[in-house]
Amino acid sequence: MDHDSELIANALNGSLPAWEALVRRYEGRVYNYSLRLTGNRDDAQDLMQDVFLGVYRNLERFRGESQFVSWLFRIAHNKAVDLARRRSASPVKDQGLPDDPDAWPDAHRTAEGPQELALAGEKNAVIQALLQALTSEQRLILELKVFQSMTFDEIAMMQDISANTAKTRFYAALRKLRALMEGHHELSPDP
Amino acid sequence: MSCHQTPEIVADYFDQQLSPQARQALQQHLSDCQHCRAEIALLEPARGMLLSWQQQSVPDWDRGHGPALHNHRQPLRKRPSRAAWRDVGRWIPLAASLILSVAVLTQTRLDVSEQGWQLSFGNSAAERQLAQLDVYLAEQARIQRQQNQALLQTALQEFGDSTADNLYQLADWFEQQRELDIRRMEAGFQQMLDRDYQTVNSVQQLASFVQYQNEQP
Repeated sequence: MDHDSELIANALNGSLPAWEALVRRYEGRVYNYSLRLTGNRDDAQDLMQDVFLGVYRNLERFRGESQFVSWLFRIAHNKAVDLARRRSASPVKDQGLPDDPDAWPDAHRTAEGPQELALAGEKNAVIQALLQALTSEQRLILELKVFQSMTFDEIAMMQDISANTAKTRFYAALRKLRALMEGHHELSPDP
Repeated sequence: MSCHQTPEIVADYFDQQLSPQARQALQQHLSDCQHCRAEIALLEPARGMLLSWQQQSVPDWDRGHGPALHNHRQPLRKRPSRAAWRDVGRWIPLAASLILSVAVLTQTRLDVSEQGWQLSFGNSAAERQLAQLDVYLAEQARIQRQQNQALLQTALQEFGDSTADNLYQLADWFEQQRELDIRRMEAGFQQMLDRDYQTVNSVQQLASFVQYQNEQP
């Protein structure tokens, strides 16, 4: 299998197959990332296209000093922030949450059985809906920490904040998510 | 009972990249802090729910969209040819600056006269101009000198012999003053020599002593 650097070099030389191979390698991660951040397929596809367009336009500037996937997700992060700003200027309609909390997924369920597999799409829909109830800032930090497994130092650098601020935001986002899972909009503050 | 460290403790607890030392410190804190333990137990299902996300397949899309859209406007590797024609305006000021710099460095000169124009390089033109200026100045000095002589002769003729006698007396007085100055200077010099006679003697003695010392084996 070709390394990223080979595919990048060939893509820069005008090889469309090399570019498409590079895209196929990462499109799954970017699409699911986009789906969780936007909450719907159309917007997720638009964001994914936007991310890869940004990657292609800036490919010459990739120096190989960091991993390609890290560099790619830095672009993806910037595109997601841009999208959040556009959305805040023209908010989208609330996706809504299922009324029955029992229908929500949790950590104890697995997707191994056929029935669970059939429910996988529904699970994702619930997760998407819950994430959409968070602020874009909270959504992003959960995405970067839980799904992209970035360190708090990396997140801090990417968002131009301190590592402690990143940790506080992560904690606040997790509490908000937990509150939403319990059917409340806010957890009561600590006594 | 609350704990001011809870946000950091919770974040560290869910951090998979935590160092072993930090993990040990975290466990130590959790063993002593009931509040943080309770908070982690509360938030664990939220993180677990997120991790239950099922990876979704990517719908069909145009993967060549980026290159197609991008190349339509600006190919990645064909920028030089594009730049050569579209960015020609950007190079004009640079080229003009370069030409002017070369002209200044080579002292290029454009002489326009009735016979036409002449382009010359280096300092030959400047040297020619300087030589012409020297000739002109010498000619002007010669004319001035002739005019002064003529003026002096005219003046002498007008003032007659009495003026000539005065001039001779003035010349004698200058001569006497000069001789007087020379005598004064000689007297001062002799006085200075007398005053430093002992010093000179001391130096001579010192020189003799040094020479004597050097001659000793």
